Amino acid sequence: MTVKAEGVSRRYFRKTGTANYFDAVQPVSLEIAPGGMTVLTGRSGSGKTTLLNMLSGLLVPTGGKVWYDDTDLYALDDRALSRLRSERTGVVPQGRSAVDTLTVLENILLPARLYQRELPVEAAVRWMEKLGIAPLRDARPAELSGGELRRMAIVRALAQAPDVLFADEPTGDLDDENTRLVLSAFRDFAHEEKKAVFMVTHENDALLYADRVLRMDHGQVTS
Amino acid sequence: MTKRKMFLRMITASLLRRRSRMLIALLSIGIGATILAGLVTIYVDVPRQMGAQFRSYGANMLILPREGETLTRADLDETLQAIPREELVGAAPYRYVRLDMTSRQQSFTAAGTDFAGVTQTSPYFSVEGAYPAQTRELLVGKEIAETIGVKVGSTMELTWQPTAAASELSPEESRVPGASLSGSAEGFGGGMVYVTAALNEDAAIDSLTVDVSTQTAEYGGRIPEDETFLAQFTGKTLPLTLGEDVDALSGATVTSGAIVDALNRAVQAAAPAKPRTVIFTVTGILTTGGEEEGYVFLSLQDMESMTGSDRLDVVELSVSAGADQLQTYADAVTGSGGKAQARLVKRVTRSEASVLEKLTALVFLVTLVVLLLTMICVSTTMMAVVSERRREIGLRKALGASDSSIRAEFLGEGLFLGLLGGVMGAVLGFVFAQAVSVNVFGSSITFQPLLLPAAILVSMAIAALSCLLPIRRAVAIDPALVLKGE
Repeated sequence: MTVKAEGVSRRYFRKTGTANYFDAVQPVSLEIAPGGMTVLTGRSGSGKTTLLNMLSGLLVPTGGKVWYDDTDLYALDDRALSRLRSERTGVVPQGRSAVDTLTVLENILLPARLYQRELPVEAAVRWMEKLGIAPLRDARPAELSGGELRRMAIVRALAQAPDVLFADEPTGDLDDENTRLVLSAFRDFAHEEKKAVFMVTHENDALLYADRVLRMDHGQVTS
Repeated sequence: MTKRKMFLRMITASLLRRRSRMLIALLSIGIGATILAGLVTIYVDVPRQMGAQFRSYGANMLILPREGETLTRADLDETLQAIPREELVGAAPYRYVRLDMTSRQQSFTAAGTDFAGVTQTSPYFSVEGAYPAQTRELLVGKEIAETIGVKVGSTMELTWQPTAAASELSPEESRVPGASLSGSAEGFGGGMVYVTAALNEDAAIDSLTVDVSTQTAEYGGRIPEDETFLAQFTGKTLPLTLGEDVDALSGATVTSGAIVDALNRAVQAAAPAKPRTVIFTVTGILTTGGEEEGYVFLSLQDMESMTGSDRLDVVELSVSAGADQLQTYADAVTGSGGKAQARLVKRVTRSEASVLEKLTALVFLVTLVVLLLTMICVSTTMMAVVSERRREIGLRKALGASDSSIRAEFLGEGLFLGLLGGVMGAVLGFVFAQAVSVNVFGSSITFQPLLLPAAILVSMAIAALSCLLPIRRAVAIDPALVLKGE
């Protein structure tokens, strides 16, 4: 599946100096093709997360369109959009993202369960082993460290084998070794399974793993 | 694990994790349902309960003789058939006459009655001493007792002075020597039988002639020729009883009976009534705060033997029924074509209806307020739960959960609470209603089987309604904002 942005922009209405609005993302057109890992970097507040959220279907753009192949993402109703996102995308959000009442494995299988799909247990276990959290499968999120929770969120996204994986600062709270583990997992996922990875990060290491690097500054994608 | 199982687990886990919050929500639904179920139970039961209670205000129906008719105790039994036994709390027949106390040059209104009936129709009667239990005993109104200075245990000599109404004489006083009597009575098939008798000096029958021309020739019509039958009457003293004093002519029992009746009536009509004096023992002093304090009360047996008649002036009934039902009974009595007519005591029935009306309004109002409070409490609690779970809800939306699935989960939680609260409410509500009923009305109530599903349904509906606003909040959560990081 190819994700295509057509002049996508996001404007927030707020007082900023002379203007009454603030353009978090200036109109952007780009394409994310399968089989590659795209890294979006830039300074804080440059609009990276906003763009990622618009591409992943979480945030309605104020201008432009997002296409998943031939589907106009934001023309869908909530139910259809939710289903499409659940089937086609994997999301690694910023910050802590766990349902505390479920075990680690259950958390990882949650997206599939929301739609009663076949549970990707095998893939989950495989990715858990790869990222070194296999022994934690029956633990509760409350018993995990920040880095372990982060990797759990990453496995949750990978295990669904989504067409596009959106990751927002996925290595923010990982040490160097784990960062490399995650980045190579992403790259393998993109290359071997012919999927797309779209990642927002500050991490310079990430650039080494990327097939394509986009920079963002003041809401504009520069390269 | 199936999706449904997981859904249930998420709900129960969420409920368990927020134990204290959910306990508050459950308690409020439970208490709401309890009060609701309790009030409804009492409400359903109240007309019955209050009906019995109201009877302490006195009689609510009167039975009077129809114009131109005389009502007797025998007629009364027939009349009361129109009212179901279980609803008839009590019936007190009254016969009023003036009795003289010659020793004091006083005269009082005396009421002959059935004291067992009085205790039921007029429970507010307060008696110092006791109600008369046998004949020749008297209950004296407080006013009279004070005026003439009688106490419990005193005796009073009362005299009945006959008026022109000769029929009010006791039968044993009615022998009239040397008179000639004539009378009539209804015979077989409604035809009248006429008799004429001459009495000797001992007031015994000397000779008897009968006119039975209206009777069937081969049965009653044979009587004038049957000398054996007629001869039975000679030398007998009136009144007579068929089968004891005289035997019926076989094949003409009705006509024979009519001849005896006609003779008995004739002798009563001819007899000049005599005054009768009885010495009563006062067993009780009556306080009512009403005009009854100016009466003396004696048993109907005494009244009958003094006046020689078992006629009744009025019968007070206490019937445990609502105003409409009461009117139906009264119409049935009046419309039955008997000697009686019935009237409602409007003062009592109206006040009953208005009390019930007010009670209904009160129950309705309290129920409404309780439901409203329950909704506010549950809604607030669920709102807090949504706030606490913002991140989780946002996460689930980010992972692809649709708004409708979020809605379903919170609604599921609410309905689950409603179910538990409803069951709790139905059970506790019954206990509550039972306690109220026993303590306030002094009687227990039966469990309404419909109460359980009704309580569950209502509490689930209330819980669902209370969740509407919190659900809107939950659905409005923007995953992009919530998951921005910590």
